[in-house]
Amino acid sequence: MLSPGDSAPDFSLPGLDGTDWGLTAAAGDPLLVAFIETDCPTCRLTIPYLKRLAEALGPNGDRVVAVSQDGGEETKELVEAYDVSFPVLLDVDLDVSRSYDPPSVPALFLVGRGGRIELSEVGFHKGDLNSAAEKMLSSLGLPVLTVADPDDGAPAMKPGCTSRHLESAVPVSSGEVTVEPTAEATTEPIDLRPERAPAASRVTLADDEGPYEYCMSAGFSPFLPVVPPTVERVDTFLAAIPHPPDRVVGLVPPCYGPATIEKIVANAVMAGCKPEYMEVLIPVIKAACDERFNLHGVQATTHSATPLIILSGSAAARLGFASGAGVFGCVARANSSVGRALQLVMANLGGALPGEIDMSALGNPGRFSYCVAENHEESPWEPLHVELGFGQDESTVTLFAAGGLTEVSEHTARTGAGVLRTIAATLSMVWSWRRCGRVDAVVVLCPEHAATLSSDGFAKSDVRDFLFENTGVPLRAFDHEGTEGTQARDSYEEVLIDGEPHYRKFKDPSQIGIIVAGGTAGKFSAVMGGWLTGAEGSQIVTYPVKW
Amino acid sequence: MSTLVNPLDERSAGQQSPAPRLDSLEGKTLALLDISKPRGSELLDRLEHLLKERYGVSRIVRETKPTYTKPAPGALLERLAFVDGVIEALAD
Repeated sequence: MLSPGDSAPDFSLPGLDGTDWGLTAAAGDPLLVAFIETDCPTCRLTIPYLKRLAEALGPNGDRVVAVSQDGGEETKELVEAYDVSFPVLLDVDLDVSRSYDPPSVPALFLVGRGGRIELSEVGFHKGDLNSAAEKMLSSLGLPVLTVADPDDGAPAMKPGCTSRHLESAVPVSSGEVTVEPTAEATTEPIDLRPERAPAASRVTLADDEGPYEYCMSAGFSPFLPVVPPTVERVDTFLAAIPHPPDRVVGLVPPCYGPATIEKIVANAVMAGCKPEYMEVLIPVIKAACDERFNLHGVQATTHSATPLIILSGSAAARLGFASGAGVFGCVARANSSVGRALQLVMANLGGALPGEIDMSALGNPGRFSYCVAENHEESPWEPLHVELGFGQDESTVTLFAAGGLTEVSEHTARTGAGVLRTIAATLSMVWSWRRCGRVDAVVVLCPEHAATLSSDGFAKSDVRDFLFENTGVPLRAFDHEGTEGTQARDSYEEVLIDGEPHYRKFKDPSQIGIIVAGGTAGKFSAVMGGWLTGAEGSQIVTYPVKW
Repeated sequence: MSTLVNPLDERSAGQQSPAPRLDSLEGKTLALLDISKPRGSELLDRLEHLLKERYGVSRIVRETKPTYTKPAPGALLERLAFVDGVIEALAD
């Protein structure tokens, strides 16, 4: 693949209209050449950002050029689906692809003045898109624009597909015989990153039709009465939000219904939110739609996990979120309604209904509402959002795919280590006793336990390290072959805890999240086990609270 | 009289007909898709043996999803597009 500093090979290719486009003729100001395939999801993810850059370039928008590695028909379909206005060229013979030689697509080459490559990158990278935009816009004297917002719900990076010129001439098959795929293999193009979606329809009720019962019978909220989402209520919310109603915040897995501002508002009204809570709910929906969170799996699994919202920062107190006594109960309108609104969005736009796509064996009371704020006033340590790298003045929402809450009573230990040993015993049970490694957990420390730990000199990182070092499952538990977790014991790490051989419960301290929440009386902390963790499962995601 | 804003996903779900059922497994090419749950391969090894021995399946293609928590990648599904049928299995 050509690298920065290389000379960009000249080429001439036809566009969709048959007109030839040549690199030399376009020389001058910086030019962005993007190699794409029409059926590559990462290419489709990238196109709206290229469009945004082309729009920002104004009359110079044609300095963004895509080179399609597919035929005219598929390329035309893509161009129409995304309403692409910058030039899209056809490299049917793949000769140009061979000369630039990217291993995968999308592949971006920023060609500077003098025909030198200034940036070359494969895959989707928000950072590279923004630096390419900065170079192009500033060289034309235009205001620099962030084309790829880090918090727009799309991942920061995503690998693409093998470049066509490196694909084998015959389809790869795992067997000894190779057979051409049939035409039916072609899939319908799906717009993975729509920016706008149609307006919600209106339903006018007959005079004798009660709106509360209608919302239940129409499936708006079949299992719990809601506030009817009247046009008047929805309009009041929309007036308070600095975004157009048809803007898509995310596609909600597993059915990927578009969550427009208007649809989110309709669900927020039903949940009993106030308009100002939307500042928190919108980033919550972005986080839920973030691929790393894997809401598809969370909603479809037979496990009971459901998103727990953890709010950190001053927005919590400003908007009335509870962080103190009874925080996991029904204690504040903000917590209850925002948590409920997320659940309604997940059901109504994500399409996971219990017993259909949502196959959880037991469910989870958190499916009513699961939203807490960290108790900063009673925490001796830095807030969660600061620990995660955000500024002290910022606020964040963090989503954790959580099972139920297991309380840990420890009223007699006088030392931090004593408190943590009791919590570690409960931590050893998350997911399933003998299951180690691929689990994560959040420990909710009550203010009294946090104070004991702090006065004993424990920083938050010390707490995490202590729990990591002292949480394990004794080897004697594995005498019962055939029970869950025994089949994977070869991958577990054996350690001594209190002189007894154990398998370490967690692979890494980062699998243990720590927050301080709850009231100042009562030495009750809690442990919440997660679902399958890491890239194969659901990762904890955090988004800043901002419009 | 009140007018409500529809809070549901209003896209119309496309109608999909299931592929025609196989009348026989004799001489067919089948794919066994391991969703990567623990010991799924053991179950599928046994199934592969039985399908060939008892039902005359001529060829078995084996594929594995990267994780059981997410849909199969499109490229994997495309690799299976030529087979007569797919058996997707899990285990624990």
